[in-house]
Amino acid sequence: MWERRYRLAHRNGWVYVCLMAGIADVLDWAKQQVGSRVPKADLDQRDPDYIREQLPGLWLLASLYFRADVRGLDRIPREGPVLLVGNHSGGNLPPDTFVFTLAFCSYFGVERPFYQLAHNLVVSMPGLGSLRKFGTVAANHDNAMLALESGAALLVYPGGDYEVFRPSWERHEVDFGGRKGYVKLARDAGVPIVPVASVGGQEAALFLDRGQWLAKLLMVDKLARLKSVPILLAPPWGLVVSDMVPRLPLPTKIAIEVQEPIDVNIEAGDDDVVHKQVMESLQGGVDRLAAERRFPVIG
Amino acid sequence: MRVQRQCVIDADRDTVWKVVSDPDCYPEFMASLERWEHVTEGPADKGARYIVHWKIGSVPIGGVVEVSEFDPAHDLAWIGVSGVSLRGRFRIRDNGDGRTKVVFRLAYESAGNLLGIIADRVAARQVGRNMTQTLKNLKQLVEP
Repeated sequence: MWERRYRLAHRNGWVYVCLMAGIADVLDWAKQQVGSRVPKADLDQRDPDYIREQLPGLWLLASLYFRADVRGLDRIPREGPVLLVGNHSGGNLPPDTFVFTLAFCSYFGVERPFYQLAHNLVVSMPGLGSLRKFGTVAANHDNAMLALESGAALLVYPGGDYEVFRPSWERHEVDFGGRKGYVKLARDAGVPIVPVASVGGQEAALFLDRGQWLAKLLMVDKLARLKSVPILLAPPWGLVVSDMVPRLPLPTKIAIEVQEPIDVNIEAGDDDVVHKQVMESLQGGVDRLAAERRFPVIG
Repeated sequence: MRVQRQCVIDADRDTVWKVVSDPDCYPEFMASLERWEHVTEGPADKGARYIVHWKIGSVPIGGVVEVSEFDPAHDLAWIGVSGVSLRGRFRIRDNGDGRTKVVFRLAYESAGNLLGIIADRVAARQVGRNMTQTLKNLKQLVEP
């Protein structure tokens, strides 16, 4: 009897090992599939004429629907590469990104090279290929360096999918989730950091939870670098999980403040010091803009 | 889209021209001016270029403009070189009794086909208000 039990346990152990190996193989395969769909950064895909034709539509959306207000564009260096670092809001339909892109292109002209880093899923998602014409490239250090070394302005949201899905009651908190690789990027490229503070985006829906536990449970954190599978209330669906299905953002008033450039040279101190400076600048800007809001969404 | 506003200023044409032809006066009387910079050096004349942005709607709209007509005490016109396609003009004419009639015209056209046409029409109201305010400011600046 003991021998039989031993054989059974031995066999079950093998089944378990084989099962885990199978899952690992499937995960690796899925990861490769997702990775292979992320387009290589090709800065030449940015198309100024295409952007110019899209600006009136974006202007209508920004001016009438989101009643956006963008200030301080004159603080951005007039030429040369610059790293624009913003706090991110609004889930997978972030109004702050397109409002700032519209403002930058209107102020400096579509001719000034301007790129934006986005999550792998955004740049590889079917139907969003046109974003590459706007200058959107997959978020990684190599692509960012490529853009900055070409002399372009680069917009990054270090908080990414962690910050963009924060609960709506934390809407006025700048939280990069400890990510500060952008400081190293600015140092490596030798470019100033210009903080870009914004408010309003997190009121485009009622974000309830980041859903990091769900991301782990579904293993999309390993498969697709998705750290969050958010849970939110949004029209027309009501309760939404993952924010992958198109929804109607609420017409929330967006306010953006561009702040004074921060030098990242050696004298500025180590990465932590610069990171702290950027966070304080952004939080100060968000607090100022938030203090001007009387009501959520309405502004 | 063409928008026009006019006013009568209690001053002679030369006095009005002195302000209208001075680039340094534009931040004082041009309403909703978000950005005004010299691109070329030297005094205002035909061919001089400036960067001009007005806050229209949510963002600054404009670009580089070039002076296309510089007829002292008569006409000052410009065209947009980059940004939104744009033509502008100050017409300065005698109104009798030593007063001067100033006509301010802006014609602009956004890219983007149908959305461009809609955007132009939507913007026209605010552009018109800005032009009215500009002429009021000019009047205050010129009249003693």
